[in-house]
Parts: sequence; C-alpha cells; structure tokens
Amino acid sequence: MLPSPAVSNTYETWTGLFNTFATLAVVVGAVVLGLMTFLVIKYRDKGASSKEPEDAPTLGKIPPSRGRLKTVAISLTLTSAILTVLLFGTFGALDALMNPPQENTMDVTVTAFQWGWKFKYSNGYEDTRELRVPVGKAVRIKVLSDDVFHNFGISDYKIKMDAIPGRTNHMWFRATQPGDYVIQCYELCGIGHAFMRAKLVVMEPSQFEGWYSNTGAAK
Amino acid sequence: MTVEASLEPVPPAWSVKRWLFTTNHKDIGILYLLTSIYFFVAAGLLALLIRTQLAVPDNAFLGTSAYNQAVTVHGLLMVLWFLSPFALGFANYFVPLQIGARDLAFPRLNALSYWFYLFSGILMLMSFFAGGAPDAGWTLYSPLTSLRYTPFLGLNVGAAGLIMLIASVTMGTINFIVTIIRMRAPGMKLRHMPMFTWSMLLTVGMMLYAFPSLLAGVLILFSDRALGTMYFSSNEGGSLLWDHIFWFFGHPEVYIVLFPALGAVADILPTFTRRPLYGRKYILMSLVAAAMISFVVWGHHMFVTGMNPAVTKLFTLTTVAVSLPFDVITIALIETMVRARIKLKAPALFAIGSVMLFVIGGITGVFLASVALDMHLRGTYWVVSHFHYVMVGGSAMALIGALYYWFPKMSGRMYNEPMAKMHFALSFIGFNLLYFPMYMALDMPRRISTYPADAGWGTWNMLSTVGSFIFGAAQLLLLYNLFVSLKRGEPAGPNPWQASTLEWATSSPPPFHNFDVTPVVSNGLIFLPSGAGNQALAQSPAEGTSQETHISYWPIFVGAASFVFLLGLVSGFHVIQISIALGVAVIYGYAREKFTARHEEGAETWPLQRVENAKLGVWVFLASEIVFFSALIAAYIFVRVNSAAWPAAGEILNIQHGAVNTFILLTSSFTAVFALAAARAGAKRELVAGLLSTFALGVIFLLNKASEWRELIDHGFRFASGLPASTYFLTTGAHGVHVAAGLVVLIYLIIRAMGGRYSKEESGAVEHFGLYWHFVDIVWVFLFPLFYLI
Repeated sequence: MLPSPAVSNTYETWTGLFNTFATLAVVVGAVVLGLMTFLVIKYRDKGASSKEPEDAPTLGKIPPSRGRLKTVAISLTLTSAILTVLLFGTFGALDALMNPPQENTMDVTVTAFQWGWKFKYSNGYEDTRELRVPVGKAVRIKVLSDDVFHNFGISDYKIKMDAIPGRTNHMWFRATQPGDYVIQCYELCGIGHAFMRAKLVVMEPSQFEGWYSNTGAAK
Repeated sequence: MTVEASLEPVPPAWSVKRWLFTTNHKDIGILYLLTSIYFFVAAGLLALLIRTQLAVPDNAFLGTSAYNQAVTVHGLLMVLWFLSPFALGFANYFVPLQIGARDLAFPRLNALSYWFYLFSGILMLMSFFAGGAPDAGWTLYSPLTSLRYTPFLGLNVGAAGLIMLIASVTMGTINFIVTIIRMRAPGMKLRHMPMFTWSMLLTVGMMLYAFPSLLAGVLILFSDRALGTMYFSSNEGGSLLWDHIFWFFGHPEVYIVLFPALGAVADILPTFTRRPLYGRKYILMSLVAAAMISFVVWGHHMFVTGMNPAVTKLFTLTTVAVSLPFDVITIALIETMVRARIKLKAPALFAIGSVMLFVIGGITGVFLASVALDMHLRGTYWVVSHFHYVMVGGSAMALIGALYYWFPKMSGRMYNEPMAKMHFALSFIGFNLLYFPMYMALDMPRRISTYPADAGWGTWNMLSTVGSFIFGAAQLLLLYNLFVSLKRGEPAGPNPWQASTLEWATSSPPPFHNFDVTPVVSNGLIFLPSGAGNQALAQSPAEGTSQETHISYWPIFVGAASFVFLLGLVSGFHVIQISIALGVAVIYGYAREKFTARHEEGAETWPLQRVENAKLGVWVFLASEIVFFSALIAAYIFVRVNSAAWPAAGEILNIQHGAVNTFILLTSSFTAVFALAAARAGAKRELVAGLLSTFALGVIFLLNKASEWRELIDHGFRFASGLPASTYFLTTGAHGVHVAAGLVVLIYLIIRAMGGRYSKEESGAVEHFGLYWHFVDIVWVFLFPLFYLI
C-alpha cells in the first residue's frame, strides 16, 4: 500500500473518512489490548503470595453474580458515541460519493466480460485496453456485465461498483491530477479473474480533447 | 428384522464395532472432534498451497483453475466441515454433562447426524475427482455457478455434499433444542446453565433459522444445473437472488461458528481467573441480542451491488448496532480478569489470546460496516484479514483452548503443559504474521491467483506466507501433544482445574451413564443426592422404559444409503435405484428397532413443560421447514417482481385443477384430525379408517398433480421453459415431495394401527404425523393462491 497523492474527489472523501476510523481504531485497540495485557500481568497467579479469591469457582456451587450495570452502561454509552460519530461520517461520505453532479460531466459505459473491460464513450468509440478521461470533469459511469458477476474497481480512487448481468449500476468520480491508474476486477469471475486489468489514463483537458476528437463517430 | 438392541453389552473402546454403532453422546462427540480435525488439516493444507502460490508475484506454482478450487474448498471445509462440527463435538460431549442429563434427547438421531456429516464431507472431497471441485469461492456466486459457466460435474457433487451436511445440522438442531429445554436436572433453571450450554442453545437456534435458507439456495442451484430451471441463470433472478438467499444464511452462519467459542471462553475464564464471570446476565442478554440482530444485517455483504442507498444506510445501521452486544461481552470478559488470580495454563492463554484477536477483528469489521468505506474495501484483503481474525483468532483459537481444557476430562490424562504453551506462542505469532500484513495489502483483490510485481503487494504476501507456515507447523505440536498424552500423560482426577460446572463432578472420563445419581439444583448448590431416600437411577429403571441402549446398527447404514442416493442424483439413474432399495431396507430396520432412550423423571422443562420430547422435536423440525419454504416462496416472489411480464392467472395453469387439489388436501387434514381423535378414544377401526382415507386423499392429490404436470409438459410448459415454469415446477415439486414423504410415514402408521399398536395413552405418533401433515397442507394453502390465483 503506497501512499498516493489526492488524485480524485473520491480519494479525498474516502481517505478522510478512513483516517477518522483508523485513528479511533488504533486508539481503542491500543487501550483495550493494553488494558488486557496490563491485567494479565498484574493479576497473574504469583504462587503462594497470591490469595485464592473468596468467590473462586467451587464445584457444586452456582457461581455468584458479579458486576455492576454501571460499568456496562458506561461502556455501551462510550461505544455508541464513537459509533454515532462514525455513522454520521459514513452517511455524509456516502452522499458525497453517490450523487454525481449534473454539469461538467462526461458519460462512459463500462462493460465487464470474461476476462476484460469494454469502455464505450458517448461518441460510440469503444476500447478494451484503457479508459481515458480528462482532469476536472465528473466522469459518470454505467457499469454492466456481459456474462457473470464482476466488479469494476479503481483502487487508487478508492471506488468500485459491482458489474451484474442484467443490471445497470452507476458510479462517478472527478480526477484531480493527471496520471495512469490501475483498473481491476474485484469479484471472482472464473479462471481469468487475476488478469482482468486495464488502465485508467487521466489527461490534461486540452490533450484529452485532442485525443477524443480523433476517435471518430460511432459505427 | 427386529433388533433387540436394549440388552446388548456395549463393545469396548478399542473395537471398531463400538465406533460404528455407538449412540452415546460422548462417543459421538469424540467422532465429531476427530473428523473435524481431519477436515481442519485438509483445509489447512489447501491454505498452505494458496499461500505458497501467493508468496511471490507472477508465480506459477498453482495454475488458476487449481488455485480457484483450493480457495473455494478451503473456505467451505473450514466454515462448514471444521468450525461448527468441532464445536458440536464439544457440545455433544459436554452439554448433557453440564445439565445433568444421561444423553441427548434422541441418541440414534444423534448418531445419524454424525454419519450424515462424515458422508457429506466425503462427497465434498470426491468433487475433486469429479472433473474439478467447486471453484467459484465458498460463496458460490451466480451466474458463475450456472451450468453455462461451470459445466463440470464437481459442483453438483459438492452441492450434494452441502445438502447432506444441512440435513445433519438440522438433526443436530432438533436434538440439542429438545435436550437443553427439556432434560435439565431438577432445579436447574435456564439461568443456572453454564455459559457453554447457553451458547450452544443460541447457536442451534440460529442454525434452525439460517440453514434452511442455504438449503433452498443450494436446491435451486442444483435444480438450475440438473433440471434446467432458470432462477440463477436469468437476469430477473440471477446474482442478486443468490446474494440474498446465501447471505441471509451466511451472516448468521458466522455467528454460529463464533458463539460456541465465546461460550467456551466464558466457562474457561472463571476457572483460570478464580473469579466468577463478570456481568454474566449482561453477557447472556448480549448473546441473545446478537443472535437476533444477526438476521437483519446480511445486506452489508451486498453494499456495492447497486442497492437503494436508503437500504444500504439501514444495513449500515443494523451492522453497527450488532457490534454493541459484542462490546458488552468483550468488556465483561476483560473485567473478569480484574482482581483475579490468573493461572496462565494453555486453556487460559488460548482463551485470553482469542479475545485479543477477536477485538482486532471486530474493530476492523466496523470499517466494513460503513457503506462508504466498503466502497473501497469490498472484495479486498481487508475483508479476508477481518474474517480470519474473528473466525480463526476469535473462534478456532478459543476452541483449541477448549480442547486443552476438556482433554483431561475426556481422556483421563493431562496433556504436556510446556509443549502446549509453546504451541500457543507459535500459533499467536504465526497467526499475526499471517494475517496482519493483509490489512496493509488492502488494495489487493480477493481470490486472485497471482499479482504483478509492480503492484507493491509482494512484501506483505511473503510475510503472510512465512506466518502461514509457522502457524501450520505449530498445530503439529497440538496433535503430537494430545496423541502422546493419551498414553503417557499424567492421570487426571475428576476436576484438575477446580472448575464449578457439572461435567467436573464425575470421573475422567465419565461412565456411560454420566452420573450415578441424577444431580439436583437447590439453593444455589448442585449436588448429587445420596442416601436411602434417593433412587440411584442407573440401577432402577424408570417405569415403562428398560435400561437405556447405546448401540444401534442403523444410523450408519441410513447415512450410507443416503450417500449413495445423492451420488446417484449426480451420476446415474441406476445408482439411484440401488440406493432407494437400500434406503427402504435400512429405514425399515431403523423404524423396527426397539431402541430405548432415557426418559428423565422430574427434569426441568420450563418453558415447555407440557410439550413432550418427541413432539417438541417435530415442532423444531417444522420450524426449519417453515424457513425452507419461506425461502423458496421468497425466491419466487423476487423473480416475479423483477420480471417485466408474467402469465396472467389462469393463462397457463388450470385454476380448477389447483382448486380441486386444495380441496382434497384440506379434506385430508380433516381425516387426519379424525384419525387422531379415534386414536385418543381407543377406537381402532375408526383410526385405521381415518389413516386410510388420509392416505387415499394424499395419493389422489399426487396423481392429480402428476396428470396436471403431464398436461403442462405436453403443451410445452416445462422446467426449462422460463421463469414462470421454473418457479412453478420447483416450488410445487418440493411440496409434492413432502406430501410423498408423508404418505410413506402413513404406510408405517397404518400397519402399526392395524396391529393395534395405538391406544389412548400411546397415540403420540399419530399426533406427530398430524402436525407434519397439517403443515404440508398449510404450505399448499399459500402456494395455491400464489401460483394459481394471481
């Protein structure tokens, strides 16, 4: 996992949310695991110098009840608070990721098949090796499948969408930097699954216009 | 051929005959443990093959087809043939002991469920040799699993294995629910039961509602592949239909494999911390809550399928909610260690270690619960790491701790403690080295057979592979330790750990009948009453039952016949015919055997005091059938709602035909009720008349249905004609099979009724049949309007 610069709006939204989760995860994890380690060391049996507790399990005796509702309630409240923060973050991020803008857009249809990708542009041009888009436009993608259940994923953009036969799914992103990125399939789809890759080429707008106008009209 | 099994002495432990024909819960427990360990090793070797292939980029050690089969079978075997059966092994051995019972409620059924488990595993392994094992991932997504994309036979064989396993699980569910509710020692209220027994009760409760959904899914898949129906190969059904059916089972399934481990940890920790469990009643409430919530989170496996965002938000909410009960459980387990005196023997090390790993796995699960984060994490190694942390770290490691914990009780010997500690250390280190790097490789797709060098995943994969070999090799220490200790371990007394639960109150290993006297719970104490006033129940049988038996020849043969039948279903018609002949013979033998099971006098039975064991068993079975038919009906509704066009009512199906059949079936329910009333009044002639008319009506129903089907097929409406045909034939066909099965039982009842076997007191069988028959009729009452009238 190499760090990548903020390459798309989806990257920024996702990474912001992930960092929040990760920070809390590390803190909570460290506290809980640290506490457990501490307890195991502090309360380990030290042989003769430790006393057998009064309420130790005794054969034939139903164990007495132990514990306070207060501890459970505090723990639940704390956890719920953390989870609520994460929920709000999630719903906010979801709205940002799911709703494509209506202006300054470009539409592309991506069709998955065993074992590759077909990229079709609005002028009818089709390519199977790479998807070319300009920086700054909101690329709205329809995801389809010709045969089995695939998944169209751009891992550098932190976004993917299932390609389900008979179904049209939608996703979008806006690239913020030029570059080459990897497109890969993320759902087991047969023996070619590992090799179902393509390239996402993000170009400066003027260069993209030049390339696009040379692709010709639909046949 | 009547086998008087009741007076046969039990063969000794070293004889093959003992292990083939035993019905004792302790023997069966050991059989489950040993068989599941075999599958653990088999699936573990597959894992090592996978890790070897992934150790370096662009590797060619394992071809893609072999790799996909390895990944799929590794998952199936570990989840279904190792984790749950391993837990069931402990459950078989220790639940009766923990509640003070002599055996499970239905010992022969218990043996049957073991043999079904073993034969189902053999079927699954045979698939490797039937043109290739299943290779679509253990989740078997559609339409990759359809005949068009997976044309070879191996998947059919694997599916047959799954069906047989589900049958085994259902039998086990019936047995454990009846045992735990109705066979507790006098005075042992539900709240007094040990945590392991509680966790098993909840586990089998979840199994009851989850597995029938899988059964419906696998049956439909089988039907698609063998009969040409189009549920999963069509766009209207297809991927999403399978997703819903599978994950409705799949999510509760992961708690099914977790709960026994949590229960074992909750029994082990107090023993080794020398303190009572903290917050026991909150843990119980949390377990119940988690078990229920587990059924409404399945959508989180489908977050990027294009579902309505409102629905995905709802599933995010429920998934996040389910982490709350686990939070309570974890806190309570940790608090147990406060002001304790922790003895760090192997069971405690594994128990505490498993909680730590469960915490890590659980936290990373919260990431996956967030639908927005799942947009990237779905289908990556983050998921793989998360579920291995909870299933291997949380569940398997805890169950290994349970193995060390209960080994002295089962064998009468102590294991070697230093070697066990070494096993723990190597396992813990190997485990984390194996799985933690996968979080770092969170961009890497799941189930890819190889990856390019420039992807940047090489280092993580290499670390992972090194960890896998350390972890795998460490398990050899476990096997060696236990094997050698069986002969050379220090003799263990009845209670080497000074625990408090009832299994430690008898010898190690326990005698066949478990306790010389029935334990009694009173005033916070469990004791074994002695002295003149109390009956030593082992010596003086309760009235009406003879000494209990522990041997029956039939379960293994019924299991074998079913195995042959399923083999025939996937390979050839002549094999089916042989198996049916065999099956009739062995089922007849099973039914005729005079087998006596323990009837516990004075047992705690709340809240089902008035439902006796066999009747409760039938009710539990019917509950699973309700889920099964609900899943089939839901599948029909799903494809119909998604279809642009569907034949109008009466356009293809003859409404009159259906109406007549409905009338026939309803009348047959009436005759069944009449028969029961006659049985209860001791009126033999009327009873036989009632049963015979029910039989006749059932036969007419089936003949009617057959002629209806023939007419439809003659007019070109057949199994492979499209979705309306697929759904009609499969659903009514499944119903018809249930009617036929009822008729077979009826023949048995009629013969016995004519022989005067039923009376006012002994009319249970007629009542139980009636319950099943009415259920089958009620299903038809739903199917008739759903298929004929709308």
